[in-house]
Amino acid sequence: MRRLAVTLGRAFAAAAVAVLLLALSGAAFGHSPAELLGILVSGSVGSRFALEGTLLKSVPLLLTGLSVAVAFRAGVWNIGAEGQFIVGALAGLLASRWGVAAALIASMLAGAAWASLATAMRLLRNAPEVLTTILLNFTAIHLLGWSVNGPLRESIAQYPQSDPAGVALPVLAGQVHAGLPIAVLAAIALWVLIHRTREGLRLRATGFSPNAAEWAGINVRAQLARAMAISGAVAGLAGGIELLGVTHRLFERFASGYGYSGIAVALLAQLHPLATVLSALFFGALVTGAGELQRTANISAAVATLGQALVILTLIGFEHVRRNRQSNR
Amino acid sequence: MFDGTVKAIADAIPLAIVASTPLLLAVQGELAVQRSGIINLGIEGMMLAAALAAAFTAHATASVAAGFLGGIAGAALVALLFGLFVIVLKADQIVTGTAINLLAAGATAFIYRELHLTSALPRLAFDPIVPLAWIVFPVALALLLWNTSFGLRLRAAGENPDAIASSVRSHRALALLIEAVLAGLAGAYLSLGLSSGFAENMTSGRGFIALSIVIFGRWKVKGALAGTAIFGLAAVTQYTLQASSGLSYHLLLAVPYVLTLLILCGVAGRVRAPESLGR
Repeated sequence: MRRLAVTLGRAFAAAAVAVLLLALSGAAFGHSPAELLGILVSGSVGSRFALEGTLLKSVPLLLTGLSVAVAFRAGVWNIGAEGQFIVGALAGLLASRWGVAAALIASMLAGAAWASLATAMRLLRNAPEVLTTILLNFTAIHLLGWSVNGPLRESIAQYPQSDPAGVALPVLAGQVHAGLPIAVLAAIALWVLIHRTREGLRLRATGFSPNAAEWAGINVRAQLARAMAISGAVAGLAGGIELLGVTHRLFERFASGYGYSGIAVALLAQLHPLATVLSALFFGALVTGAGELQRTANISAAVATLGQALVILTLIGFEHVRRNRQSNR
Repeated sequence: MFDGTVKAIADAIPLAIVASTPLLLAVQGELAVQRSGIINLGIEGMMLAAALAAAFTAHATASVAAGFLGGIAGAALVALLFGLFVIVLKADQIVTGTAINLLAAGATAFIYRELHLTSALPRLAFDPIVPLAWIVFPVALALLLWNTSFGLRLRAAGENPDAIASSVRSHRALALLIEAVLAGLAGAYLSLGLSSGFAENMTSGRGFIALSIVIFGRWKVKGALAGTAIFGLAAVTQYTLQASSGLSYHLLLAVPYVLTLLILCGVAGRVRAPESLGR
């Protein structure tokens, strides 16, 4: 219990430090830090509309965060959630004529397949997945660009975007769609998988020490392949849900960094699936507040990305302090 | 048909050399730092920061030369941060590199919007960077790494840190400084040489392609040159053949990344990395 409190406390402190650093960065360019923080808060949780926006942004962030958490837990560097998100949405669009369930299953399969390309390159050709997954992101972005300018371009051929998907996720309240409960269910399911099953034990053992896992009789290669496929499936699902719940169409900048943001979401949650829910809400609020900053104060919404980096770096700093204290005891 | 193809490739050579100059600079910088035992995934962010710092300095001073120095300063700032976390705090190199890339992407986009760089940038009167990148730096880097005692110790930091325990940190820091200079020039060349100004995410993955070419070139300077040349020529040939191939422009944009994936899969299985790389 005490360990949990300390871990949670550290995460909240890191988030707070990062937001303060963000306000200071604004101050360096002549913006009032108090005003900047005020807009961030009111733009993310200050009204019903803002809160709905935060919830909407939290859905893809939760799923890409879970995707990264599963992979990192198993010790595979899947930096490819961005690409898996995109191919997930592409497959979801193509399968949407058969209904929501078919579309989301297609999203997961496509995400898993895209991630498994990196697994195959690692296992068969020893190509490091940290690079191949990033290169597959760029490939997916241009595949999407080609699709919405070519075969999937809308039938009236006016903008580089697809026609709307044949189906949409049901709306629950206001703008909030059924993707929210699906994402929370995914978090619970992954918590059960990682912390309450033999498969999860093997996965964590592989991540902790592949050599020790091998000695303990775990097929490390198969374990890595499964972790990567699960990770890709969850990121693909995120893309499918974003398509059917929010954008309904595909366009070139569809992914808008959700995949990379998932890394910050997962790290703030210390790779714990349930904590990822809270972490996603925080970053969802940050992204939504940053959008409001751009609209009302003409400050780039990219401060959200800056905030994600500051959170990770602050966490690393805290981790160092903790290790030093332990070794001094 | 065949003659046309040969001619297209021949015409592509000068273009390929110029267009892949920033990549080659980045490859050499990453080679130096990986030889000292560090994987710097953040080289992408380093180049991006350099591109903005160079555009800003050139704009403020109306001097291209000052712009390149500004680029180096921008990359050095990122290197300082990366070094602080990886060398001093001993943080995970992949996580730190990823955070650095997010930091650079967010910070450059934020700052660029604040700066309002409106008037035109000074143009490069002549281009010393291309011969520097393709001839001077490779020779200097090869001599430094393999013919000096500093180079020997730098490589020892990457192969067997225990052998030079006391100076591993300083040699890794100096390797990072070498990388900052080269990545700084690379970023500056992007915004001042290949285009006239900064654009968000203008590095478009060159840092990651550079990391892949370091592996392809087996952590050797000759391999770095050959890898960049093959990559640059193949990529540019694709573009020049675009008209006759009938392939969509959007698909061709994916070519550099698919090519890099093929390069990685073609050789990675048979190479040996520096023993203590990433630790």
